[in-house]
Amino acid sequence: ISSSSTDNDATTGDIISVTIGATVPTGFEHTAAEEVKEKIGVDARISKDRGRIYFPITTDKLFQVHLLRSVDNLFVVVEEYDNYQFKESKEETLMELQELASKLPWTNALEVWKLNRTFKKKKGYRKGGNGTKGKPKSEAAGATVADTEQQELPQATSTVENQTEESVPEAESDTQDSVEAAPRAILIKFRVTCNRAGDKHSFSSNEAARDFGGAVQEFFQWKADMTKFDIEVLLNIHNVEVVIGIALTEESLHRRNISHFGPTTLRSTLCYGMLRLCKPQPSDIILDPMCGTGAIPLEGAIEFNSSFYIAGDNYDMAVNRTVNNICHIQKRRADKGSISGLPIDTVRWDLCSLPMRTSSVDIIITDMPFGKRMGSRKKNWDLYPSCLREMARVCRPGSGKAVLLTQDKKCFSKAISRMGGLWRKLHTVWVNVGGLHAGVYLLKRTEAVFGQTPEDVYESREVVNSNILSIHVLPVTE
Amino acid sequence: MKLLTHNMLTSHVKGVTKGYPLLIKATEVKMNEVEFNPQFVSRMIPKLEWSALVQAADELGQRQDLPGELVPDYEKNEDFLKKVHRLLLEVEVIEGCLQCPESGREFPISRGIPNMLLSEDEA
Repeated sequence: ISSSSTDNDATTGDIISVTIGATVPTGFEHTAAEEVKEKIGVDARISKDRGRIYFPITTDKLFQVHLLRSVDNLFVVVEEYDNYQFKESKEETLMELQELASKLPWTNALEVWKLNRTFKKKKGYRKGGNGTKGKPKSEAAGATVADTEQQELPQATSTVENQTEESVPEAESDTQDSVEAAPRAILIKFRVTCNRAGDKHSFSSNEAARDFGGAVQEFFQWKADMTKFDIEVLLNIHNVEVVIGIALTEESLHRRNISHFGPTTLRSTLCYGMLRLCKPQPSDIILDPMCGTGAIPLEGAIEFNSSFYIAGDNYDMAVNRTVNNICHIQKRRADKGSISGLPIDTVRWDLCSLPMRTSSVDIIITDMPFGKRMGSRKKNWDLYPSCLREMARVCRPGSGKAVLLTQDKKCFSKAISRMGGLWRKLHTVWVNVGGLHAGVYLLKRTEAVFGQTPEDVYESREVVNSNILSIHVLPVTE
Repeated sequence: MKLLTHNMLTSHVKGVTKGYPLLIKATEVKMNEVEFNPQFVSRMIPKLEWSALVQAADELGQRQDLPGELVPDYEKNEDFLKKVHRLLLEVEVIEGCLQCPESGREFPISRGIPNMLLSEDEA
């Protein structure tokens, strides 16, 4: 599938159409596609390579991609191959990759790269880089795990005049927004990042990056630099799917709202995905009873701001960090001249005994403690059932929902299976959080009034067991 | 702490049956401008305990001319909605405490955060 339009004019100003690729938290590809449809108005395609979506865009609308909240990293596609026929031997394959460098339709992608840089130079540009800490890792069918490699290339000669037919973008030092087409002595620095997944490849990502990168360098006369690069060329190989792209976002903070981190702060793109899942409505009261540093409710207060968020935690450091994060965002908004106040509040509480009126909350959304990163597996065993009960109490019967992220799927499933009277599982999204496989469970609060479901009749298993020998039936209390 | 939050909070001291609404004793109150959304306010009103909101506004000296009972057709009354918006979202108790109306137990508010944690024997 070719990515660019027929327009080959390299001067700026003409509108061209390209394909944008975006990396999103694995499991939230569909919610990301929804957001693209909503904010950009185009249909996104979900790649077989998990955690990636693709969509078309015209350069006059390019700035919109930086408004997407479900996206970690963005790149412009140079070329895509659905079914790349790799050669038998490693030598032939790598030779072919080298030859590819000079044949690819670089022009439009480089135009987009150039245009994208002007956004960053403009004042008030939001940090669009919602990059993940490392490049996304893909798991191959079979034993081979994807290599993520950047290859240092042999030093080229320093400044060289542009000799190729392609237009070459200005170097970092250029402070003007518009780009001159006249050739001059410039030095573009670049690197190649290769992601490879699949068990039928004869080469490693290391080798591909090295050889492909070498050919790119030769073709453009750019200089290779691992750390201070202007252009990052992406070579993504997933079985027979090959995508060559140019990065549009840097690997900057992927926790855009959070200035005061905690040990388990969730990245904002994941928070956004969870929020979209529960579809907040105007005037919804949304609770995060284990808010940590407040990442989820804060993202909600910004992006789904016609609801009201109550963030709570029992640790004083957590509530303090949450308030600090809220203040930080409010100050940033005030500095830009906007109305700064956010629809969010913070309370210190014990989630197993919430100081909230029964049936007062519309949505509960939270990141439940993982045994490995905080708390312990044994603690979860006791915590989860009491947690779920208390959440059921405060949640509005019939219309209420919960979106719960947890890595302790076994414990959670067991706890929820005993609460059929109060919670019903609607949907589960499998995600990856800091390398751990976790589940995001979307639950619906049943119509049942709290305190009158069969589970409530028997206060505890011990009580039931001790009464088995006696004849009378347990009284039905509140 | 905003008054919208206060409207949802209740005392959960063991044995207490009438723990709502919590009495507010404020030593520091701030105003924080929040964007007005009439749909948000008009849909929120049915979810509130109106008398508790009025009582809270009184305690903070912020009641102004807020009616003791809801006026009919309030959904279309923008003036009224703006008053409610201000009370629910823009008035913030920064320092002070919340008091359980039945047991008298005080929950401190510091930096705008009410501390609702109970000790072991209270829970």
